[in-house]
Amino acid sequence: MTVIGVEKLTKAFKGKPIVKGLEFQLEKGRCVALLGPNGAGKTTTLRMLSGLLKPTAGTINFSGVQQGEDIRNHIGYLPQYPVFHPWMTGKEFLVYVGQLAHLTKQEAAEKADQLLEKVAIYESRNQRIGKYSGGMKQRLGIAQAMIHSPQLLMLDEPVSSLDPIGRREVLTLMEELKTQTTILFSTHILGDAEEISDDLLLMHQGEILESGSINTLRQKHQSAKFEIALFGDTSTYLEKIKAFSSVQDVYQEKGEVHVVVEDIELARKDILTKVLEEDWPLEKLALSKTTLEDLFMKVVKK
Amino acid sequence: MQWITILKKELLEDWRNFKWIWVPLVFIIICIMDPLSTYYLPQILESVGGMPEGAVIEAPKMGPPEAIMLSLQEVSMLGLLVIVAISMAVIAGERKSGVAELVLVKPVSYFTYISAKWAAKLLLVFIAYLIGMLISWYYVNLLFGDLSVAQFTGLFLFYFIWLIFVVSLTIFYNTVVKIPGLVLTLTIVTIMAMSAINQIFSYRMPWFPNSISEHISGMLAEGTIPNELWGASAVTLGLSILLMVASNFILKTKEMAD
Repeated sequence: MTVIGVEKLTKAFKGKPIVKGLEFQLEKGRCVALLGPNGAGKTTTLRMLSGLLKPTAGTINFSGVQQGEDIRNHIGYLPQYPVFHPWMTGKEFLVYVGQLAHLTKQEAAEKADQLLEKVAIYESRNQRIGKYSGGMKQRLGIAQAMIHSPQLLMLDEPVSSLDPIGRREVLTLMEELKTQTTILFSTHILGDAEEISDDLLLMHQGEILESGSINTLRQKHQSAKFEIALFGDTSTYLEKIKAFSSVQDVYQEKGEVHVVVEDIELARKDILTKVLEEDWPLEKLALSKTTLEDLFMKVVKK
Repeated sequence: MQWITILKKELLEDWRNFKWIWVPLVFIIICIMDPLSTYYLPQILESVGGMPEGAVIEAPKMGPPEAIMLSLQEVSMLGLLVIVAISMAVIAGERKSGVAELVLVKPVSYFTYISAKWAAKLLLVFIAYLIGMLISWYYVNLLFGDLSVAQFTGLFLFYFIWLIFVVSLTIFYNTVVKIPGLVLTLTIVTIMAMSAINQIFSYRMPWFPNSISEHISGMLAEGTIPNELWGASAVTLGLSILLMVASNFILKTKEMAD
């Protein structure tokens, strides 16, 4: 079942397009990562889905929401840099936004306690938010997004600003939240996306370049690759390697030549023959599988 | 109810940052400053001792209505500035800092958000103005003679209508721009411009909002409420309502993030 679907979603600021005609659907109960480098348009996309920005063109459809009903009843949103009222305590803030989401004061207070416990800042619940650390604010941010048990939880770079320990804790928390609601989160770190998400939307320069489940994408983009290192100036050999019929793609990274091939056997023979014939100063020849990382890097570098 | 929730939050905020303490105190000073200094001027001059030998100060005898109008004049200058200053960030500040990004993704209507904040600021202004004017009234009665309850109530309430307009105007600019300093500037410039228009065209527009204090003077002198005062009050209230409706409309067109 689809929770949300967007068609031709576009946003331009002062005529400059930031998000260009996105099309995607989010399935209920999935954890989806919106992955892309900085400036890809991830934040803009999430802000449009949460209603903070108005799309320049295109539509957003929430299923299960009646005509005219406020979609904000069904979404929780954590901005990249959540700002709170520093003079409020963590619990006061949760109760406040809970009541704004149509909970009664009692319901909001109960839910606030549960969530404070869950995000592990229960001890600091009566402390002013002004005194919270960055990690505590991030967790309070997740709690406020969950206060009204939304159908769709959207988190903008939930772990990017955290230290390794805080990052680990938030990822574990998301792992748990995943079982309760649909999650869409943005990140520029592939590792985070691979670790907890089911599906991936790969975004670059305002467009979705790839989408699908992590496993499908992994298989789709897994091809064989040789990594070759040579003493001296490697770049002179690039053209020669490119000339092999068995080679699909060649690029240089950190002084090594990466050779994407179709047929491993054939390519190995081609390369090794050439190495012996022309006596190349070979330092390293290794076989590896390309990963999502390679796909991501390739996309980002373009 | 969401409206009450926001109202309570605003009141708590103003309590925690001490506005509920200093705003009434400032209003007390603003309200009693002029009547007291006018009354004690001869004594002050004498104690400073700057008068040549044999000089006699003939202070014009001032009646209670004129004395309390001195307070209103100060409220219309300094008091106004304080009111605009405490309201300039009420929405603009939340939009600028980013709190609005959290609050307005919750299912709360913009009009609830705006009007609850408006009501909270108006309550603070009302209490501060009430305390200041009551103390001024006390001194006027003591030093200048009796001012009746009816006169005081009329003056107090009619002038409060003008203050409602000032708060509404500030809230309006809060939705237009999100820099509190700019809200302050725009509000003050608008009120100054209105005041200039009022002075130039007052004979043609007896119902203009800025003319309320003039009509209040007239009311105190004559003992009856002039029709122009009713008219000006109605226009001022009407404009305030229009400003609130416009605020809601403008905030809806704004994007809560950039």
